Amino acid sequence: MKVQSRVMAVLAGIATGLCCVTANAQIDLSGNWVLESTQDAVKYDEGPLTDMFAGIPLNEEGRQAGITYPGDEGQELNRQCQPWPTHYLFMGPWGGRFAAVRDTDGKLAAWVVTSPAYDRLTMTIWMDGHVPPHPLDLHTFAGFNTGRYEGNTLLVTTTQLKDAYLERNGLPSSNQELDKIFFTRHGDEMTMMGVINDPVYLEAPWVLARTLKLLSEGSIVDDPILYCMPAEVLAGFTDGYHSAIELPPREAEQLAFMKTHYNLPLDATLGGARTMYPQFARKLETEYKPPATYCQLYCLPEGHLLPYGPAHIQNR
Amino acid sequence: MSAGRNSSSGQHGVLAPLAVGALALLGYAPSPLRAQAPAAAKPAPTPRAQAPIDPTGYWVSLITQNWQYRMVVPGRGEYADIPLNDKAKKFADAWSAAADTAAGKACEAYGAAVLMRNPERLHILWQDEQTLRVDTDAGRQTRLLHFGTPASQQSASLQGYSSARWQIDRVVNTFGAPVGRDGSSHYGSLIVHTDHLLPGLLRKNGVPYGADTTVGEIWDLRILSASDQWLTISTKVEDPQYLFQPYVYDSIFQKEPDGSKWSPGACSLTTGL
Repeated sequence: MKVQSRVMAVLAGIATGLCCVTANAQIDLSGNWVLESTQDAVKYDEGPLTDMFAGIPLNEEGRQAGITYPGDEGQELNRQCQPWPTHYLFMGPWGGRFAAVRDTDGKLAAWVVTSPAYDRLTMTIWMDGHVPPHPLDLHTFAGFNTGRYEGNTLLVTTTQLKDAYLERNGLPSSNQELDKIFFTRHGDEMTMMGVINDPVYLEAPWVLARTLKLLSEGSIVDDPILYCMPAEVLAGFTDGYHSAIELPPREAEQLAFMKTHYNLPLDATLGGARTMYPQFARKLETEYKPPATYCQLYCLPEGHLLPYGPAHIQNR
Repeated sequence: MSAGRNSSSGQHGVLAPLAVGALALLGYAPSPLRAQAPAAAKPAPTPRAQAPIDPTGYWVSLITQNWQYRMVVPGRGEYADIPLNDKAKKFADAWSAAADTAAGKACEAYGAAVLMRNPERLHILWQDEQTLRVDTDAGRQTRLLHFGTPASQQSASLQGYSSARWQIDRVVNTFGAPVGRDGSSHYGSLIVHTDHLLPGLLRKNGVPYGADTTVGEIWDLRILSASDQWLTISTKVEDPQYLFQPYVYDSIFQKEPDGSKWSPGACSLTTGL
């Protein structure tokens, strides 16, 4: 009977091997990856506009938190060095350095993704079958990340995040957030897509995508921010790191911001899942007309957008 | 590592040597290594048969990025996020939607450089074994993605000429045997290069692209479950006439179960659709 069990176990092992992709045959993601996408360059650099939530599937809880966000909250001492959660990979101006960590047998144990800025913590993506922590265990800004390969794609699952911000204009994210992130290498480019699920503040998954570009070996971004910069310094940092800090904290004035500058109706700027779909554009046909005046705010990209991402917008 | 969208190389095949080696060890050598009678040559599989991913079906765009420049027609001078040069700015400042609409040019904002960027639905199907067809409901446009050898002579058009190839990753299991159908795998991406474009608009407030524009695309299928599927298209627009560097953007489409929400509409320079 014991022999029979052993034979069965061996056969089961073989069957498992036949059905599964080997952990060793993987696409190499090592290197310094910088942002190549130029879309939303102003948003990546200056931060999102105040109370501009269109295209974000906020639920009412998330919307109210965003509306009532005091623009100077980032200046509070306990928040000045608060990092962004892992989802900032899709919102910040930075890419990251991917480095492989191997065990003594040479097997890939983890990918470590570091940011050139202080404000996104090092992300460790466990590839060795790490047992997930209990939901009540420690939550961090980097979260707990596990990865597996699906062909040419690394699929990462992120949990155990701390309460933080979803966006730089004050939208919140909760410690219940669960992210799925796809990384696919195409030569010297890497496409990535993230699915952000947050049952506390979102009514549907928020899906984002961007493209990174590989820098030559040894190079890194020109202008890394490796340490926390207090808010009083940030305020004088070109034209403000967090645009919301400079805006008056009065809700009514904030709410009118997008209408005043871009003629966008509140129905759109307050977000929600319906604002993500084309049929919402049909609704706007009767509610929106382009501003009568020539653009006054965030109008042109100037200087370079590459190789490290931020646009140097100077025409505010 | 193979090159990306700008490469003219063929299949990716990073893991192919592993597969071949392991198969040989297991006695599953590819036919040229086996001692056997010569068989009649089999025709090469068509691009449709080779497809490592299945992009066919109905898809709806998710406008979660760059919203205010896509869902509505932005105001005059709103050129942020496009690396346009002074020449393009002057063109856009002088541009008139009314004049172009009256001149029958309302579809100039639906050319291949930006078609996948618009709020819309896609219907993707195989037109034949060599050609993937992409229809849009907004603007009623059709793109044809041609696999194989390009036709020798092309004339410029709104959608230009798109050459397509699969980037196929051969993934093997623990024993080196290929995973997936036909000894290949289900993993891979679609690489598209488009040229022979007529001039058009990158944005509906007059930001132009010129006749020498080329477009490189990487199409990736992202699957979490049968009901959670997305198609992402990373697009790089290069235009020596109007851009000072490539314009790179990412479009996201969510799979729909059927075409019940398909809503064809004419080209418009005054609405987001």
